[in-house]
Amino acid sequence: MSESATVPVQRTITRNTSKRRKKKNQLPIALGVLLLIIVIGILLSIFQSTTVGLFWVFGCTFGFILQKSRFCFTASLRDPCITGSTSITKAVLIAFALTSIGFTAIKYSAFAAGETIPGMSYVRPISLATVVGGIMFGIGMVIAGGCASGTLMRVGEGFMMQVLALAFFIIGSLWGAHDMGWWNLNVIADSPSVFLPDVFGWFGAIVIQLLIIACLYVAADLWERKKMGIKDEE
Amino acid sequence: MAEYELDCLGEACPVPLMKAEKKMKDLKAGDVLIVHIDHSCAMKNVPEWARSQGYNVEVDEVDDGEWDVVIEKV
Repeated sequence: MSESATVPVQRTITRNTSKRRKKKNQLPIALGVLLLIIVIGILLSIFQSTTVGLFWVFGCTFGFILQKSRFCFTASLRDPCITGSTSITKAVLIAFALTSIGFTAIKYSAFAAGETIPGMSYVRPISLATVVGGIMFGIGMVIAGGCASGTLMRVGEGFMMQVLALAFFIIGSLWGAHDMGWWNLNVIADSPSVFLPDVFGWFGAIVIQLLIIACLYVAADLWERKKMGIKDEE
Repeated sequence: MAEYELDCLGEACPVPLMKAEKKMKDLKAGDVLIVHIDHSCAMKNVPEWARSQGYNVEVDEVDDGEWDVVIEKV
């Protein structure tokens, strides 16, 4: 299993595929799972509430897209450092830009209608704790090979190492939730919390947010060209 | 025209990529490196990195969730 297990063998790049195990057809399983998802969704809407049913559908869709697109928040921050590749970084930035527009639309429509703006409890104070926490999370996710969503997705794929990561992810979350009150009270609460529309107005906030994302996008692109050398073939 | 194999089964991202990167340095032009991986993320970034270096790359799904990335140094 080590790197020293590299044995020179004489073969060409056209490889012998005859002795390969035949793959099992997974289509029946896929259809079965799809049916199960639909049935559970319907049952949840009937016996719980439509909201829970909707959460279920969103969760399943999110997981499916995450797996199929190989979208990885860890890689978006790690690959620029390792190889200089920023293709995933750029994908994440585009996703941020789209969600910014989406969130602004949701929040502004509530604001314009005079209702309470949804999701305002997530406007949290920023402090040094944010930075320290971010660094700790970053170290953890690179070692574990995935952030929260990435770990969950790969557990679903059957990658055993990340079952271990999931176990400690749960322990860490529980511990964090247990002590969060203390941290909130003693470290975080006094720091300022910023809601951009309060500062720049609704239009200004979205423009500034998108401009920052655009700058990061350009920076990511330049970084890739610098680190990997410009190769514009194909 | 030697061929080398790199067993990265069970290794999470970014270990396969870093091992492949290190190994490719020892290869001569025309040599082929086969990286065995089963981490879906590596299936994306190993070929991407290799292509960016100008190598010939082929990805082969040998089994469900198990891939061989064939890299030919040029």
